[in-house]
Amino acid sequence: MDHHSHFTRRHLLSHASGGLCGIALADVLARDGSPGTQSRGGGLVGLHHPAKAKQVIQLFMNGGASQMDLFDYKPELEKRHGQKFDPGTDERVEAATSEAGAVLASPFKFQQHGECGRWVSDQFPQLATQVDNLAFLMAMKSRTNVHGPASFLMNTGFLLPGFPSMGAWISYALGNLCDDLPTFVVLPDSKGLPYNQRGNFSAGFLPVMHQGTIVRANATEPIPDLAAPASAKFISEASSRDGLQLLEKLNQQHLDGNAGDSRLTARVRAYELAAKMQLSAPQAFDLTQETAETLERYGIGNPVTDDFGRRCLIARRLVERGVRFVQVWSGANGPTGNWDNHASIIKELPPIAASIDRPMAALLEDLGQRGMLQETLVLWNTEFGRMPFSQSGEGRDHNGGAFVGWMAGAGVKPGVSHGQTDPWGWRSVEDVTTNYDFHATVLHLLGIDHKKLTVRHDGADRRLTDVHGKVIQQVLS
Amino acid sequence: MIGAFWCLLFAHGSLCAQAVNQEGLAATRVDFVRDVWPILSRNCLSCHGKEEQESGFRLDTREAALSSGDEHGPNVVPGQGNASNLVRFASGQVDGMQMPPDEDPLPENQLEILRRWIDEGAAWGDVAAAKEADAKSWWSLQPLSSPPVPDLLPGSRNELDAFVRSKLLGLGITPSPEADRRTLIRRLYFDLIGLPPTPEEVDAFVASPDPAAYELLVKQLLDSPRYGERWARHWLDAAHFAETHGHDQDRIRENAWPYRDYLVNALNADKPYGRFVEEQIAGDVLYPQQPSVIPALGFLAAGPWDESSLRDIREDTIDRQIGRYLDRDDIVTNVMNNFASSTVQCARCHDHKFDPISQADYYSLQAVFSGVERANRAFDADPAVHLLRQSLRARKSRLDSEGPARCEELLSAAAQSEVADWEEKLNEARSAWKILAPQSAVSAGGATLKTQPDQSVLSSGMAPEQDTYTLSFSLPAGDFTALRLETLADDSLPQRGPGRQENGNLHLSEIEIYSGGIDGQRIEIARATADFDQVDWGVARAIDGNPQTAWGIFPMVGQSHLAIFEFKQKQPTAEGQPLTVVLKQLHGGHHLIGRVRIAVSAAAPELAVMPPEKVEAILAVAPDQRSEEQRLELALYQQQTKLASELAQLPPPSYVYAAASDFEPDGGLKPPPGPRSIQILKRGDIRQPLEEVTPGSLSCLSSLPARFKTNNVAAEGERRAALARWLVDSRNPLTWRSIVNRVWQLHFGRGIVATPNDFGRMGAVPTHPELLDWLAIWFRDNGQSLKQLHYLIVTSATYRQTSAARTADEAAMKLDVDNHFLWRMNRSRLDAECIRDAMLCATGKLDLRMGGPSDRQFSLTPGSHVTPIIDYSKFDLDSPLSNRRSIYRFLFRTLPDPFMESLDCPAGDTITPVRDNTVTVQQALALWNDALIARRSEQFAERLRSLGNNTAEQVETALQLTLGRRPSEAERVELIAYADQHGLENLCRVLFNLNEFVFVN
Repeated sequence: MDHHSHFTRRHLLSHASGGLCGIALADVLARDGSPGTQSRGGGLVGLHHPAKAKQVIQLFMNGGASQMDLFDYKPELEKRHGQKFDPGTDERVEAATSEAGAVLASPFKFQQHGECGRWVSDQFPQLATQVDNLAFLMAMKSRTNVHGPASFLMNTGFLLPGFPSMGAWISYALGNLCDDLPTFVVLPDSKGLPYNQRGNFSAGFLPVMHQGTIVRANATEPIPDLAAPASAKFISEASSRDGLQLLEKLNQQHLDGNAGDSRLTARVRAYELAAKMQLSAPQAFDLTQETAETLERYGIGNPVTDDFGRRCLIARRLVERGVRFVQVWSGANGPTGNWDNHASIIKELPPIAASIDRPMAALLEDLGQRGMLQETLVLWNTEFGRMPFSQSGEGRDHNGGAFVGWMAGAGVKPGVSHGQTDPWGWRSVEDVTTNYDFHATVLHLLGIDHKKLTVRHDGADRRLTDVHGKVIQQVLS
Repeated sequence: MIGAFWCLLFAHGSLCAQAVNQEGLAATRVDFVRDVWPILSRNCLSCHGKEEQESGFRLDTREAALSSGDEHGPNVVPGQGNASNLVRFASGQVDGMQMPPDEDPLPENQLEILRRWIDEGAAWGDVAAAKEADAKSWWSLQPLSSPPVPDLLPGSRNELDAFVRSKLLGLGITPSPEADRRTLIRRLYFDLIGLPPTPEEVDAFVASPDPAAYELLVKQLLDSPRYGERWARHWLDAAHFAETHGHDQDRIRENAWPYRDYLVNALNADKPYGRFVEEQIAGDVLYPQQPSVIPALGFLAAGPWDESSLRDIREDTIDRQIGRYLDRDDIVTNVMNNFASSTVQCARCHDHKFDPISQADYYSLQAVFSGVERANRAFDADPAVHLLRQSLRARKSRLDSEGPARCEELLSAAAQSEVADWEEKLNEARSAWKILAPQSAVSAGGATLKTQPDQSVLSSGMAPEQDTYTLSFSLPAGDFTALRLETLADDSLPQRGPGRQENGNLHLSEIEIYSGGIDGQRIEIARATADFDQVDWGVARAIDGNPQTAWGIFPMVGQSHLAIFEFKQKQPTAEGQPLTVVLKQLHGGHHLIGRVRIAVSAAAPELAVMPPEKVEAILAVAPDQRSEEQRLELALYQQQTKLASELAQLPPPSYVYAAASDFEPDGGLKPPPGPRSIQILKRGDIRQPLEEVTPGSLSCLSSLPARFKTNNVAAEGERRAALARWLVDSRNPLTWRSIVNRVWQLHFGRGIVATPNDFGRMGAVPTHPELLDWLAIWFRDNGQSLKQLHYLIVTSATYRQTSAARTADEAAMKLDVDNHFLWRMNRSRLDAECIRDAMLCATGKLDLRMGGPSDRQFSLTPGSHVTPIIDYSKFDLDSPLSNRRSIYRFLFRTLPDPFMESLDCPAGDTITPVRDNTVTVQQALALWNDALIARRSEQFAERLRSLGNNTAEQVETALQLTLGRRPSEAERVELIAYADQHGLENLCRVLFNLNEFVFVN
């Protein structure tokens, strides 16, 4: 299996230290062929069951995308618009940052689409043409109504910083499919990083190599340190080439006198791989290799969609080249310019929705046409939803009680909607999906049993899914 | 032997305990709890237990086991193992009665256990008690033992060697010889001070004829201030320290660094360890006369903090409660992992699954910290000022508390005569100030400015981000010397103002005063003073001509303030001459003045606070006409005013970001009213509180009480003091084992217990348990000196061994290839700080200035909300901020320096007792291509040129400065050729990337 050889190399690099808890390199390599076992504090070995998906592209909406203004059509809100919100239950109605206002109907028009009849608002006209390819998680639920903890939860499974993100876990479990690009790549909004910044794609207590590598799609140097800095005039192609040769030679001589330490040999190999990455990685970001038609399809060139479109297209190019997990963010941290529409749904949501609608539809279409959806999982997520009642007139406050996500591609049953919220979209009530269930399902599709992917840290065998999580069978094909 | 040893190293206790084989059985009686119960509970109890009783049979109590079971019972007949149905059914002897159903019969060794157990009388045991006893028998919970020191074997230097070498002897592995001096000096330097030795130091040490040269060198290094800088960083890792909050609102903590300085100083001063622990948990309570220990409390606040949940969202939300609860969890975890090597946090949602720690224990620890928040804590480093402020504050709280004692004091003759004197002076000062009636008040930003009856101007309506008020007056006649600006509290303003910012603050960027209209003569200001200046926002900034700086009054909101601007020259003025005052408020974020009043004085300017209306009204009454109540009120005001001015005259306090119960409120973050009630939470769910707990700690140490008996549980400080005392109690085996193991781990790369923060069943077990206890007792009873502990360790023969892997040594390779038993020294990769500092040393630019605010090695611009935008690539590497030791770098939690991170420098989002030690492609790219490496290479090359006349000399010096040795002849030829072809800079770049540079033998 293709995966085997990469695994060996990856372990050579990550565990060459002699192991975090004393597992020798030889020991790790020896276990390479036994699926489902894991070493203590060391690397997981093997997949637990056959995988449906090989790679993942996750689109993450920073700020809390409003479910009842995009997918979760609620006629009840129209009926009760302007009235005091009364869910008729004992539960106290509270909002994180404001006094609960009156019921707020969605200002957008909803229509059913596709054979599955999925309701989609007029904010996503392009995506609406793709609904028969998607599986909707209509009743997701968070443990919190606050951005920081909620973003951590959706990305790492914990409310606090310091835990590995899903991409890091997957990198740790599966390694990469190529050796000239990072395993886990993050494409942040050009306006800036999301809430929690790189905390959302951190490796936590896993080795740093599993952390999401931030790629600045619009920068001249998308990956830091890929090339020598322009400021260093003394560096030339020849001096680098000869320098690396000299380095290897001196390291080799040093090895001769210091045998038996795998870290020293691993470092020699790391420089070879670095040189390889230096040559081939820039090609992944070079969109001039794409046709004008493709660029237009992704909305590149149109100021509304250019940024997100560019990053969606780069995501496809990275997956083509073997990157395991790509996360594309919409919206930076801060009070505006993202999905955190406190002040006005009608004013703040349309621009951000328009910025992603065409690109994400194009991505799905493109992956489909290239046959890549067979092995690529596409995810659309956000950290929580929004309230059915208003904040300061026409905005909505945070709502961990209900939100929507969708999945598409490898192993996903197309055209289904799983779960239901109450008549207002305030609370998820039927077939509720937690972050744990969602993460368990993604890992399952990648051939990983979420209960077996563990690493001992600080006295506990930690998992992405903590002590929870059920695979959502209803969205599996 | 080998089998047992691997079991000791890697297996969970339970695996060992269950490995009862046939041989063992023959010799001993079957033990119900150990041997029988695991078989029953795994195979039988789900159908024949407390919950379900198939066929009326249950096996969870002896009585039921011996009697129940509808038509088949009794199934267990004591003395008749073979004939009992339990054995017959479980062995598949009876058709159709195979138990457990649809599964293979039990293996023969288990059947034999059941048979023998029944034969021997089917005795029962107390499973719960046995489990608890077993849990409490775990090695780390036992009192420290005093093991005899094994005989010193040849080549040993001290007791440590005796323990290590007797173990090696048992294994049949020979220790390694002592490394050469060149290797030893490089090892010692990086280990003890984190810097490389200079070539001169290497040569002197290598050439020294003194047989004690090594010991002398160790002492020198431990005495160097560089030692504290090196070892403080290890503590910062453990404490997960960083200088921003680390969540979605990743605000900068301006006052986090004093904790780092505390660590450096405490380590350099070799503070006894018990004292070091006490100060970081409760130094304020245990050493109240020594304010210099307050920064130690930065430990409790070192980790991340969720500003959104704990400051900004509504107080009445569940999310606020969750935020507090998780915040305490971080503090408890920080304390117990690092000082007691206990993973108590695993008992948050249920009793600890592996260690004898109950949920009640865990929540008792939360109760210890239920009275503190994380905040900027004010303190006076000068003990005299500290005491004076304490006494003034005590007086303030006396004055603030109503009651007969206060009445008596204020109505005393002495107090009333003080009031009379004060009133006289006040009248003089008042006649000197002439309040000006505004003729017009204009807001450039669109706020509504309305003149009030007291001639102040109140701002309302729209609150723009920035604003400029232009106020026009008509002056009376006089020779004016000063202008007074009052910013007044008002009920219509947020937090009662006097600013319009949500937190009540204001920022006056610049004040401009014109004689005449706005186009008139600008009046020059000599000096500005104010009754209160916000830290770093002094009133002088309102006259510095820089619109980026401003006067602010935070956190003293909700009260009036005043600033006086002395004119450079007296302004002789005729009646009716216009005066224009322009108040620029350009900071943004609605930091606007809410209510303002202007006055001028012809007398020598005096600071005089304007009394509130109520007091004004009393002053208007003739002294002899005042009621008792009025006299009381006035005396109170006078005393409070006096006190306030005395407090204001104290030097400004220092601040540290630390645990605090008393601090200036900041938005929704307010001092707690006292320790909050802490309840056990079912499944860790805030919505499912169970019984309330009292402060305490672990109950699994037989030597120490689990719950604290404090004199005053309402005093939060007493709770922390009790925990500190519990930790450093000489009978606490965890604390003393923890610290010696931690230090051992940092010297050897691996602890005697490989998991320094987990001495529980999920952690590793000690490779040298006797040595661990011997060291713990030696350390505890000999001054608790970390420096002596370092000395003992690094002067041992064990530490001084070579690090060669001896791949041809069969015994070593077969029995201990990973060197757990220290038959050689471990080679270590330099950590991120050492690599960065070693490069600085090579360039000769290392700046040894110690302490103070951290160096921000990034560009910083305001973000759209709280989190600023920082960019490491825009930092000027030639800036003086570039050259201090790495411990002084500013640590931005959610966006750490990528160069340092690629070398495994932790971000401060998780407790890091042992750093990762990775080899990655990203790391190779960073070391090869980062701008830092390029710039250091240039600086290094420049220095080499000044040190050597030709390439040969330069190459030789370059190697000495990076590797601590001279080149071999072959290397010399190769390096010179490369340097001649591509320049010294490129050679330096290669040297910084060498394995030999980043590793220490």
